[in-house]
Amino acid sequence: MSRPLLEIKDLHIGIVRRHGNDEIVRGVDIAVGPGEKLGIVGESGSGKTLTMLAVLRLLASPPLAVLRGEILLDGEDLAHVDDKRLRTVRGGEIAVVYQDPMSSLNPLMPVGRQVEEALKAHGATQGFASERTREVLRQVGLADPERVRVSYPHQLSGGMIQRVMIAMALATSPRVLIADEPTTALDVTIQRQILELVSSLQATTGMAVLWVTHDLGVVASLVDYVAVMYAGRVVEKATTSQLFERPTHPYTKALLASLPGKDSAHRSRLHQIGGTPPDPTRLGVGCPFRVRCPYAEEKCAQEEPALLDRGRGSFAACWKDPSQW
Amino acid sequence: MLEGSFTVVDIVLRAHDLVKVYGGRRGQSQVDALSDVSIALEKGKTLGIVGESGCGKSTLARLLVGLEAPSSGTIEINGHLVQANEHSARRALARKIQLVFQDPFSSLDPRMTVEKALAEVLKVHSLQTNDAVARIAELMAMVGLTARFASRYPHELSGGQAQRVAIARALAVEPQILVLDEPTSALDVSVRAEIINLLVRIQDELKLSYFFISHDLSMVRHISDDIAVMYLGRVVETGRYDQVFSTPLHPYTSALADAIPVPDPEHERSRQASGSDAVQVQVDQVTRGCPYAPRCALVEPACRETAPALTETSDGHFVSCHVALRVASRRPTDPTMSDAPGGDEP
Repeated sequence: MSRPLLEIKDLHIGIVRRHGNDEIVRGVDIAVGPGEKLGIVGESGSGKTLTMLAVLRLLASPPLAVLRGEILLDGEDLAHVDDKRLRTVRGGEIAVVYQDPMSSLNPLMPVGRQVEEALKAHGATQGFASERTREVLRQVGLADPERVRVSYPHQLSGGMIQRVMIAMALATSPRVLIADEPTTALDVTIQRQILELVSSLQATTGMAVLWVTHDLGVVASLVDYVAVMYAGRVVEKATTSQLFERPTHPYTKALLASLPGKDSAHRSRLHQIGGTPPDPTRLGVGCPFRVRCPYAEEKCAQEEPALLDRGRGSFAACWKDPSQW
Repeated sequence: MLEGSFTVVDIVLRAHDLVKVYGGRRGQSQVDALSDVSIALEKGKTLGIVGESGCGKSTLARLLVGLEAPSSGTIEINGHLVQANEHSARRALARKIQLVFQDPFSSLDPRMTVEKALAEVLKVHSLQTNDAVARIAELMAMVGLTARFASRYPHELSGGQAQRVAIARALAVEPQILVLDEPTSALDVSVRAEIINLLVRIQDELKLSYFFISHDLSMVRHISDDIAVMYLGRVVETGRYDQVFSTPLHPYTSALADAIPVPDPEHERSRQASGSDAVQVQVDQVTRGCPYAPRCALVEPACRETAPALTETSDGHFVSCHVALRVASRRPTDPTMSDAPGGDEP
């Protein structure tokens, strides 16, 4: 990996209470270099969205707060930049596409103007902003970009709105794009096109992409590396092909097994993981996955493993080597 | 499967030429949410309905369970015409067909315990047997919830548990048909398999028939016997699950089948960029010709003039596409087609 463009080091996020804090993100290390694509996979409550919010200092504080750790954009610690600098980073150097596009747009303003506003907030002139808006709306594959530009959000379908959001994020030519489940509401053919669009833009601009999702299948096609999160930590880090070929954490293995594959028999019983994701505020000691893990042993209840090197670029927070499964 | 297929089957629900038009009053623009949708659900089988957001699959679900009346067209259940315009008729309909929504938390009353939510259904439908408590316990057991959940409120349940309650509530009236509208989409990935396994199990146990509406194509393929692909309010292809996804005829189905995320990066990377230029088209943009024409890689002049009709190409496999129909008609007729008694039926 080249020098990381965005680096998250030992990030801890907690709910601050009078009598001690509840840690819900517990030491996340993530790095992504220029032109790279990293997938962050996790279920609700795994801490993936909080981690992304912390990058832009958008945590609802109080009660949430970064307790420890660093977030570096090209070496610059974002925790200590002033508000003015933060505004150029947010939406300028680091752009985010959120999962619920309808609630991210102003219902009283045509969407084209909202894209222009975003550009002007980052110093563009009106002339440049309107030209650039037309350009990006075309780029995201809208059938009639001129009509969309003057439409209000309620006049557009969910898929069109999400394209507008992606256009808005890309308009400022960000160095880092964070996509938080941006395609879950979209038709698979549209998803694919958006994924391909982001990839092609990346090739020309060297933008780094963080793709946050709960869907391993989506991740397979579009990222180079994957970080799997569970209960506030990264439990496995690997190249995409290694992750699918040879998962090294039991959680990853179970997730992959629960998906209906191309070869799985019709209506056959799918692999169930059993149990439910843990409440991040009530973890206790030991590995949080142990209660759902078929390989758990005594040690797992006593001590939580750090990320261990499992070879071929894979790291897993599990005491057992996959060869012992 | 539609009429015209040679197999003699037990149809539990048949919808004929359903049309639903919204708007059109006081100069509003008119939206044809559904245009001439005909589908049939076999007893004990699952009909998967796929299509992008805005294709009309949720409108179809609402019409099927009587939440809305069609602008024209008919729905028959067990051969009886459904007329959901009267209160008593709607209640009778609800006894036969139930809807399970995507988000269990917004379909459960936050102030009702699991037990109360189930008891309410029994009461509304006058199913108060002598032992409602036993019936509730039975329903909970059916969906894999232990007795300790009876006193829980929705906020004390996980997504998977809440969806189980929603399913139990639908089963309380002993319906014949469940309309499952994205039943796993709002759930954590690690519990989706449980809900799918549960749905398959209770279908076999209770001989239920399902409409399974989803945009998760790998799940649809996994659970469905038959599949209907919808595009802009129309059914563009329908057939057995393996026909539709292994030998898709409509270019839209091909694009969908091609885009199913496969948890295998090698497969993903070797995949050719699909021919479909996936520009999304608004319902009101298509005035004549095939609605898929603006997106279609195989488009011909005829496609922009006349809309193709849904036509059978082989045993139970229907498609509405000029190009696919021409190609299919050139193929020699499959000799097994009319001879095979029962077709795919055992």
